[in-house]
Amino acid sequence: MTRARFFRLAILLPLLFVTLAWVWSGPAAASDWDREVLRIGVLEEPKSLNPWLAGDSWSSHVQALLYQPLYLREPTELKPAPWLAEEPPVFDPQALTYTVRLRPARWSDGSPVTAEDAVFTAELIKNLKVPRFVSLFAALKQVEALDQLTVRYKLSRPDASFAARALGAPVLSRAQWQPVLEQSLTTQRPLASLLQYRLEAPLSNGPFVLSEWRKGVYLYLKRNPHFFGQGLTIAGRKLGPEISGVVFKVYGTSDAAVLALRKGSIDYYWNNIQPGYLRDLKADPEVRLVQSQKSALYFLGFNLRQPPAGEAAFRRAVAMLIDKQFVIKRVLQGSGEVMSSLLPAGNRFYHLDQTPDYDQPLTRRQRIDQAVEILAAAGYSWDQRPSWEGDRLRPGRGIKDPEGKPLRELGILTPPADYDPQRAMVGVMVQEWLVQVGIPAYARPMAFGALLERVKNQHEFDMFVLGYGNLPLDPGWLGSFFLGENDRPRGWNMSGYHNAEFDALARQAGRAMDPNERRPLVLEMQRILMKDTPFLPLYNPTLTEGLRQDRFAGWVEMVGGVGNLWTFCQLTPRAGRARP
Amino acid sequence: MTRYVINRLVQIVIILFMILTILFVLFRLAPGDPVARMVDPNMTPEDAARLVAQLGLDLPIWRQYLAYLGNCLTGNFGHSFHYGLPVMEIIGQRLPNTILLFSTGVLLSAMAGIAWGKLAAWNKGKATDLWLTVASLITHTLFLPWLALLLIWVFGYKLDWFPINGMISDEVWLDPDSGALLKIWDVAYHMILPLGTLFIMHFGAYLLVMRSSMLETLKEDYIVTARAKGLTEKAIRNHHAAPNAWLPVVTSVGLSLAFSINGGALTETVFSWPGIGRELVFAVSQNDYPLAQASFLLVASVVLFSNLVVDVLYAYLDPRIRY
Repeated sequence: MTRARFFRLAILLPLLFVTLAWVWSGPAAASDWDREVLRIGVLEEPKSLNPWLAGDSWSSHVQALLYQPLYLREPTELKPAPWLAEEPPVFDPQALTYTVRLRPARWSDGSPVTAEDAVFTAELIKNLKVPRFVSLFAALKQVEALDQLTVRYKLSRPDASFAARALGAPVLSRAQWQPVLEQSLTTQRPLASLLQYRLEAPLSNGPFVLSEWRKGVYLYLKRNPHFFGQGLTIAGRKLGPEISGVVFKVYGTSDAAVLALRKGSIDYYWNNIQPGYLRDLKADPEVRLVQSQKSALYFLGFNLRQPPAGEAAFRRAVAMLIDKQFVIKRVLQGSGEVMSSLLPAGNRFYHLDQTPDYDQPLTRRQRIDQAVEILAAAGYSWDQRPSWEGDRLRPGRGIKDPEGKPLRELGILTPPADYDPQRAMVGVMVQEWLVQVGIPAYARPMAFGALLERVKNQHEFDMFVLGYGNLPLDPGWLGSFFLGENDRPRGWNMSGYHNAEFDALARQAGRAMDPNERRPLVLEMQRILMKDTPFLPLYNPTLTEGLRQDRFAGWVEMVGGVGNLWTFCQLTPRAGRARP
Repeated sequence: MTRYVINRLVQIVIILFMILTILFVLFRLAPGDPVARMVDPNMTPEDAARLVAQLGLDLPIWRQYLAYLGNCLTGNFGHSFHYGLPVMEIIGQRLPNTILLFSTGVLLSAMAGIAWGKLAAWNKGKATDLWLTVASLITHTLFLPWLALLLIWVFGYKLDWFPINGMISDEVWLDPDSGALLKIWDVAYHMILPLGTLFIMHFGAYLLVMRSSMLETLKEDYIVTARAKGLTEKAIRNHHAAPNAWLPVVTSVGLSLAFSINGGALTETVFSWPGIGRELVFAVSQNDYPLAQASFLLVASVVLFSNLVVDVLYAYLDPRIRY
């Protein structure tokens, strides 16, 4: 063969190959084996199905369909409903025990789910101190199986969060994990060994079971024939699942996922859709946009360990300068709500519904004037005090602290725009509002890891903009975030907030086993925090998700979006609609 | 030649040792806490410290370094913090996908670049040369994500000719009726858009190198001699000028093939191609030290050895070169 012929063949053969591929792949798409399979687009694939290790949201999406808890929050009132448990837990306040009766249920291999599985799960978490769950079981003293289907948890101290959180943790198969645990205990690092265990075929007690996982491409769950909920009515909802399986398809970008949704390659994109995509999606008759509240908190945090952010008057002045409505309108493009308390409004039972004066509708001029008054009353002075010439502001210059020293330049740390453009933009806005009254400030976007290092470990910052997109509905975290004892490196009291009254309330709330007794304490904690403002809550973005209406019906909307277990157990295929 | 190769191998070992050290230091200096995302807000400091110890991150830095060197020498690169799997297994899953896409892309671009570069040089100053050169310059300077998204929009969505992204269709691979041949076709079908992007982005570089090299070659005396002998223009171009102009292109293709194992984080992300480039970015951003270190070391090793192979190939292709 001559060299020229070789080159010609080398170019033509691949072309021939891809052309044939194109022609041949047509018939496959027409196959209808997957008529009842729900296809979900996700941005990242699950990191692991090892339930002890992976806590990222993408892994949690899949794990929630495999490993079931005793209690699950129902979608309407968000109260824990018996799920793997048969009835509400029986609490004995004298003995500090919760007794839980399980439903008759089976693992995906057909073996029964027993109280021993629940005991094994709790003991493993407690003994090995599994990071994902250990704090939930911190108050657990002992757990025992009273019979095949009854388990009793004995607490060492009252823990208000135990029922909501520990009993909401998944129950795992003893038969599957006991040998793994024994093997791990023979190693020098048993916890690491457990976390690094490769789980090939997880036993599921949920509505679906793993069928196939092509790493980086898709993960296929098929219906679990042994699912305990099939045909049952729980919390007034008749459960299926009526779909034969779920395929999670990985899309590297929202651009591709949104196009796939419009094209019909996926039925649901399990991620928040940014405002830029909404116009096209709204125009598509097959696509439905669902807006849900999130259990989220996006806030401006202050470093109370040093002036000026350590001074309450300064923080109040900053709060007065920030126009949250403007942030919602311009940065979130209307897709969110103002937060005037640290617990989101969706958490109706514990949310403090009280609007502070700085969140009242004020004009920019009113905000600036009141902030200047607050600062002046606290002893701040200016070479040139901010003033108005008609509607035009003459910004303040040469601001001095109450000791008469020029105020140093203050940094506002934010995640970078490629990580979260909204938080980065909020940092810039806060900077500009501070500059208007003469406070020298600069927004500094930095890598997320670096930001956490500065804020959580080194405590080297003045202000920062952060957010939590999926907070537990149980308010136990409120205490963790602001308890004085948690002001330490890697501690969760990032602001360095110390208030003996708050600490006492937080401890009392943590021990209040009756939710009705706990509620006023949590409300009072929020009141104190809104007054002291270690964190200034800013906004709670609305979760906007996209789904196709042509193939499935029965989506269940709740806080956190339609991607919930109730949806997967109730979704039904629409008759006669094949995938395009 | 043997002595040269042995010397180069010794150099490579020294450089790899330096790279190992630099990688270790760089990732420890980088801000961020690898366990930050694994701890719960309510976790006690003791439990958090215990987790750090379990991952071996509590040891003094020099002990971590010695353990790391020892493990690398035995081929044990540890477990990924986030996947919980051995990093070599993760790399092993992703690397073939990257090699398949990017090596095919490099080879197709190089073949077209060589052929069209030859044509451009042979027609220097004519319309063919002008069009090819301008096209090369324009396509080579395009912004890759923009081009990729444009191709996806036009050919994947609007015309619906090709899949929007991914490496395979679950519709085909999960279908019990799909045969092996159909699955192979499916992979090829998914490669068309990413390959098209890579081809458009890269053929211009090879074309320009080939054109430039060919123009130099055409000035050589042996070309004049060939013409004087009465050989046809085609024979002169293809058998006398082109083979001698290949040398710089060979270097370029060799190194591009080596770097192709690095993948292209952007290409892989936009097309959701499950390759090593996306994993590398993830590992760095999440402070997954073991995965990031092993991925970078692999890239460095392949680039170093490819350099050696290209140098040896030079001597084979050009008898004038002696080591």
